[in-house]
Amino acid sequence: MVKLFNLQQLLLINKYALRDFLRSYKKLWVITTTLFISLLLLSLTFSVKQALNDEIQANSKELLGGDIQVNSGIEPLPVNILEELSSLGEISSAVELATMVSKKGQSPVFTEIRAVDGNYPLYGEIETIPEGVGEKLFLSAQKPTVLINESIQKLLQVKTGEDVVIMGKSFEVAGIVTSVPDLQNSAVFGEFAIISKTSYDQFELSSGGSFLDYEYRLKFNNPNEGGEQAKLVESIVAYDNTIETLLPNDSSQSLSRVIDNFSNFLNLVSVSAMIIAGIGISNTLLSFVNQSNTSIAVKKSIGFSSQFIQLMYFYEIILILIVTSIIAYLIGVFSPLLANDLLPKSLDIDLQPTLSLIGYLNIFFIGLLVVLIFSIPSLYSIKDIKAVALFRNTFQPASLNFSLKNIALLTFLIVILSTYFVLQTEQKFYTVLYFVAFFITILIFYGVSKLLIAILRRSYRFSNNGYRIAYRNIVAKKSLAPIMTISLGIGLTLLLTLSFVSNNLKKEISDSIPSMAPDLFFVSIDKDIKGDLESFITSMDPNVELEFSPMASASFVSLNGTPIEEIVSQNNRSAWVVRGDRRISWSEKPKEDNPIVEGEWWESGNEDEMFISMDSRAAFDLGMKINDKITLNILGRDVTGIVKNFREVDYRDISVNFAIIINKAFANKLPYEYIGTLKSELSADDILSSVVERFPNVSAIKVDRILSQVSGVLNKIFIAVTGISLIVIIIGLIVIVSAVMVQTTFRRYNNLIYKILGVDFPTILKAMTMEFAIIYFTLIFFALSVAVIGSYLIVENTLQLTWQFDFDLTLWILLSTAIVSFILILMANRSIFSPKVYPLIRNE
Amino acid sequence: MSTAIQFNNVSLNYGSEDGLVRVLKSVNFSVNSDEIVSIVGPSGSGKTSIIMLAAGLEMASEGSIKINSQEIVGLRENDLSDVRKKNIGIVFQSFYLIPNLTAVENVLLSLEANQKYNRDEEAKSLLGEFGLSHRINHLPSELSGGEQQRVAIARALINKPKIILADEPTGNLDSANSESMMDLLFEYTKKSKTSLVMVTHDDSVARRCDRIIEIKDGQIV
Repeated sequence: MVKLFNLQQLLLINKYALRDFLRSYKKLWVITTTLFISLLLLSLTFSVKQALNDEIQANSKELLGGDIQVNSGIEPLPVNILEELSSLGEISSAVELATMVSKKGQSPVFTEIRAVDGNYPLYGEIETIPEGVGEKLFLSAQKPTVLINESIQKLLQVKTGEDVVIMGKSFEVAGIVTSVPDLQNSAVFGEFAIISKTSYDQFELSSGGSFLDYEYRLKFNNPNEGGEQAKLVESIVAYDNTIETLLPNDSSQSLSRVIDNFSNFLNLVSVSAMIIAGIGISNTLLSFVNQSNTSIAVKKSIGFSSQFIQLMYFYEIILILIVTSIIAYLIGVFSPLLANDLLPKSLDIDLQPTLSLIGYLNIFFIGLLVVLIFSIPSLYSIKDIKAVALFRNTFQPASLNFSLKNIALLTFLIVILSTYFVLQTEQKFYTVLYFVAFFITILIFYGVSKLLIAILRRSYRFSNNGYRIAYRNIVAKKSLAPIMTISLGIGLTLLLTLSFVSNNLKKEISDSIPSMAPDLFFVSIDKDIKGDLESFITSMDPNVELEFSPMASASFVSLNGTPIEEIVSQNNRSAWVVRGDRRISWSEKPKEDNPIVEGEWWESGNEDEMFISMDSRAAFDLGMKINDKITLNILGRDVTGIVKNFREVDYRDISVNFAIIINKAFANKLPYEYIGTLKSELSADDILSSVVERFPNVSAIKVDRILSQVSGVLNKIFIAVTGISLIVIIIGLIVIVSAVMVQTTFRRYNNLIYKILGVDFPTILKAMTMEFAIIYFTLIFFALSVAVIGSYLIVENTLQLTWQFDFDLTLWILLSTAIVSFILILMANRSIFSPKVYPLIRNE
Repeated sequence: MSTAIQFNNVSLNYGSEDGLVRVLKSVNFSVNSDEIVSIVGPSGSGKTSIIMLAAGLEMASEGSIKINSQEIVGLRENDLSDVRKKNIGIVFQSFYLIPNLTAVENVLLSLEANQKYNRDEEAKSLLGEFGLSHRINHLPSELSGGEQQRVAIARALINKPKIILADEPTGNLDSANSESMMDLLFEYTKKSKTSLVMVTHDDSVARRCDRIIEIKDGQIV
């Protein structure tokens, strides 16, 4: 039963704890350091995430570019609708299109172009170099102008005042656009340009094909009644269910979701770091209790209860937690100021620190749970220290107390910690999975240490002195084996898993995809020029591999009569298939690399019925079955078709693939264009330059450019992720060093005995190396196994890539970790190499 | 004159790998409230076990132990702590001062365990009586063996316990220090009419006591 303390006793606990802390704080450095690093990591993640979300929320109208946005797809809104909308507020019309921007002598660049009217932007400002050149776009007297981003400037080697060609028309570069307020659809990391809507209309750039998106942004006359006015807008455009409306929250939500997903990962790594720090807390506290066992016994003999003493030590840990959490929180809170310098300037983000009590309590609460989980078994060992030992002068070292009551309490606290994290994230399933995997890994490594000790005990038949000493150290009651396998094992497993995943992904992007992928992607090829384009390219390279597929725009309306948005949540893995405009294609026969996994291909010739072939993975995610009825909106008309089969689509080779394919007989009635791929021995840049010169309306994407962009972003993400997982290893190493230092007295005494018995320094060093090697080799076997299984599941199942083992990378990680760990252990142990005989003789 | 300690048919057994070890076998004795008793006997005879049982730090396997008429056999740890706080002061052979507390803080510890707060002057005064006024703020590592034992005795006496239990209090001291320590302890117990039960191997110390209890093989001889 818990004993309640009165105020005077609590004050006494406070006094004793403060005094003990001030006089013994050096012994608690591991708790302070590891707790601080892991709390700091957590605080940084929370603070930057909070600041980013605050910034996005505060600028949600700028991010959208208005109070509401209406997207009408490839067709503009009718004039009467525009008039109705303009009665509600100011309208800014824009067209997003993707086409080529070229300059003589340079390879053309596939660019996302925004054609804007004079009202753009309704909120915020366009930032340019030189300043204010955005106005030039709308000066009708002069030559048409374009604002390009820095990436186009570099790729085309173009300067302000020089000309570039867009769909055969010459535009003068007015300046460099460094930032636009409505980032939502712009290519922050890609190629982006702005022209005027007048130029767009004048040069009939809409002939570029189906990669067009008409957008209308409204700034309400009366923003205070935004909710009502938004409903009015929705009712005005309700006549066409393919017209999409977006509110400021929608634009901020999609960005927030990306931030939440990444910060959730960081949070999980932080809590992993904290749990390993917890192992250090547990170990340090236990050694602290053991070092203080005489004092504890004396206090008991005087009449203090175990609970009083436990509470006193716990209070000390809480003091450390309070101090470290406050410092970590404050550093975290002000970290967004530093993040401002690290984020791309084009994002135009100005993060601000936000102090909040809830924010601090969040960090403190997580720290408290971890401290409680790991201090309970150590503090309850105080119960086992008996005052009678003072009479016998024989102190048995206390051990972690895992009574049934404690196990129940620890389980309860672990469930609270996991639930607390799970409730804070959108990715609940993955968070639960992570915690389960993490705690299983801890158990595996604990089991590994016990297995190692058991195996060594059975195989103790060596006559080598070094091995014997190593053996005794490993099987001893206070062995390094459990703490080293758990704390280093977890960090190493995390590092190996993340490295394997990133390496596989990078290999896929840098090796596998380029070898399979085409060199160029032609988008929206008018069916009238397809033949000429084919001939033109073939004349350049008779051996070229060209593949064209017909395509039309469609949007998903319903499944078996139920509106699709009621069935598919935004978090659904295949939500992209049913969201917005989707290109569909048709063919007489199934493609060879799209094998049918369920259902049958259709008979040719049925013109009146639409048959649908679905990507099997999307069909599974969206809950479709064979013979389900799907309604698509094709060119403003709702058409219902029957699902006939599911295909296994492999998107990895970046060839032309469609999630939805319909029967050719039905599709023949539809207006369409082509999409195509090219693979050639000739230079893709040369082919592209010639094609764009000859066919100005043709747009093509260079695959290697996309891959290098993706690869660049991935590299940055993985450097950050690997850096963070290294923190887990660093904390693990601190924990190990602390465990080594705790053992120093005991080992110095042992080595002294060995020295007296004639064992020399090289033998002791050899024994220590063998001890480390035995533990480390056992540990890496299991760390590698868990990492291989974990990364295999992620790469093969989640990323749908082919998993490959990289021996060099593995060797590099394992060797560098081993060297750093061993050097640190040697440094922590340096005092035991030359123990003095005199103090032993004097029994000091 | 009342009875401070009463042992009735007290046995103490330990279970070990080799079977049951019978440390004390039906021990009966009592100590009056102002009596000084020494317990003597060879090593392993059970002397210290008697002190541990009387202090409530060990639980008797059989029999009854009364401290100032209160039965302590069967009490829980917290209740035993209360009995100890109110009645008993213990002096150990190895002093066992808390290393990171000063002399006066070590003494105050005993008062504060009894919920007597802010009694610094009282502790300093007692240390002064024991000739340690110049050492009150020194850590144990800065004190000689004799000084450490005097601080330990002050810690045991500061609560004015009714019973002092001492386990070879002079075992770690030289003869001069040993003599002065016993003078201090005897003088104080006589003056405060406290009972003192002391385990000792030192015949000269034992002879100064009111009564000697000799124990052999777990039984009073």
